[in-house]
Amino acid sequence: MDYPRHPNFLRDKLAEEVRLSIAVLAVLALLPLGISSPYWLGVLIVSMYFAMLSCGWNLLAGYAGQFSLAPAAFAMLGGYTTGLLAYHLDAPLWIGLPLAAVVPGAIGLVLGRIVLRLSGPYLALTTLSFAEIARLVIYNSIDFTRGDQGLNVPGIVDDRTLYYYLFLAALCATVLIVYGVLRSPTGRFLQAIRDDEIGAASRGVDVVRCKTVAFLVSCAICGFAGGLYSTFARLVSPELGIIAQTGLVIAMVVIGGMGTLVGPLVGAMLVYVASEMLRDVGNIQMIVFALLVIVFARFFRAGLWGLARGLLARRRAAASGGA
Amino acid sequence: MLAVDLFVNGLIIGLFYALMAVGLTMVFGILKIVNFAHGEFYMVGAYTYTLVSLVLGISPWLALPLAAAAGALLGWATERWLMRPLYAGYGSWGLMKDEYAVVVTFGLSLLLINLVDKVVGPYPMRGPSLSDVTRMAIGPFMMSGQKLITAALAMVLLAGLAVFIKYSLWGRQVQAVAQNRLGASIAGIDTARASSIIFMASGILAALAGALLAPVINPAPDVGLFPAIKSYVIVVIGGMGSIPGSIVAALSLGVLESFGAVYLSYDYRDTFGLVILILVLLFRPHGLFGERAREV
Repeated sequence: MDYPRHPNFLRDKLAEEVRLSIAVLAVLALLPLGISSPYWLGVLIVSMYFAMLSCGWNLLAGYAGQFSLAPAAFAMLGGYTTGLLAYHLDAPLWIGLPLAAVVPGAIGLVLGRIVLRLSGPYLALTTLSFAEIARLVIYNSIDFTRGDQGLNVPGIVDDRTLYYYLFLAALCATVLIVYGVLRSPTGRFLQAIRDDEIGAASRGVDVVRCKTVAFLVSCAICGFAGGLYSTFARLVSPELGIIAQTGLVIAMVVIGGMGTLVGPLVGAMLVYVASEMLRDVGNIQMIVFALLVIVFARFFRAGLWGLARGLLARRRAAASGGA
Repeated sequence: MLAVDLFVNGLIIGLFYALMAVGLTMVFGILKIVNFAHGEFYMVGAYTYTLVSLVLGISPWLALPLAAAAGALLGWATERWLMRPLYAGYGSWGLMKDEYAVVVTFGLSLLLINLVDKVVGPYPMRGPSLSDVTRMAIGPFMMSGQKLITAALAMVLLAGLAVFIKYSLWGRQVQAVAQNRLGASIAGIDTARASSIIFMASGILAALAGALLAPVINPAPDVGLFPAIKSYVIVVIGGMGSIPGSIVAALSLGVLESFGAVYLSYDYRDTFGLVILILVLLFRPHGLFGERAREV
């Protein structure tokens, strides 16, 4: 079936964001040349993990308008998929890591089929319950998962710089996948659903299928990120899925700019690096970010990226006006 | 007698679930949003009660109204500063309602948890009891004095709320706004005040639930999480926005958990709610008592 081409403004907006995303990723690729401290490399690796979660969550929340409160829980499930396979079956990572995307994706598919038939806040309610209860089950199934002691996970490589580039590659792949979805008809349908679900349905968009696809992709991205992270940390524990981690992901996307390709990347980097710095000031990072989330959601709905765009546009207008 | 004991205990737990869920469902009824900071209203109530009676040495009976006041204040402030843009003169915001409400209430929840964690400390505290009687016989049941008092208070609160909503002028205005906000405002009802009242009522109920349970739950900053999740499940099962539905669902869930904890598994007792939630979403997506959505 033939779909109409992008309206130009959407394509131009996306193209601009793609250029900026490439710039951000290029800066990330160059950073290890200047930073040799393993501590800061580690911080950047973890922030790339969060950037993957943010991109996954943003695809669902920012572009499709569907709010999952379980990105961290799906990362935990991905981590446990890799961890349990290695622990019980000695499965090599080339099996364990892809399955870290497949298993959470499948769980997301089943959950999505049930919940996404309904519009309104059902997804947020169900995913929040699911997140806490999944964590509880892992925590209590001590024979199988070793409970809160967590599982040891084998690493991929020992060198931190190599790990850094592994994460960067995974992050690039994530951005590409999100971009691919956005370029496809499904991506435009998703944005139509976000803006007007009934309107989209009336124009023949298969609303439930599109939302389910977005949820599936988002869960798979989060799961893979969790699997990769657990090989880096060499450990997976229920702590990976606590609500505060989801809160951090939401803070990153809201502060960076929801519904944009580059916002979550920048947001994740800024928020995580800032949280490392605020930790020294006395563990006030979550207070600061929670406040920022409220302030941004209330007053700056387009996030930092939107603020920057507004400033640029104004300067451009002033320049052309003066000429 | 085990079955009867379990049943009565389940009903008592269900009463507290109902205190939480009714507030949540009323907020949904009137603003069509879910308050993800509802568990933190409960947490603030539990902390206010515990701190006031332990640190200031005030009788726990006087600490109860103070906890209620804290809940009311929190509810009022949430509505006034965070929820009002949803309906007061911001035309385009209606489209982004869910998005804004989820993000902002979730942010509020994180803020309150981490503020309490920083200011009061992360360690659980033990709330003082209202009664020292540990065991007394009520007919065939043995019960602690604390449990009896809290259960009675919870029932009084729920009954008082029902009377307020059904018969008082403000309560009727609230019903009107829940049915049709625009229509109510045309009829001269102050819709902002109705929303404010509902948020305060929901804050009071949640805070009192936390305060009454403080001797049992040992307040810690994240103590509101599971009660909140239970009330989300209950609100969906009962039908979003339906007060009788949420009370019936709350009592049923309490009884079911109480039996399940003994006959199925104690460790996994908190998971039963999710299983029921999924079943309800599969077979009766609008809940047991909910109206089918009328979309125009």
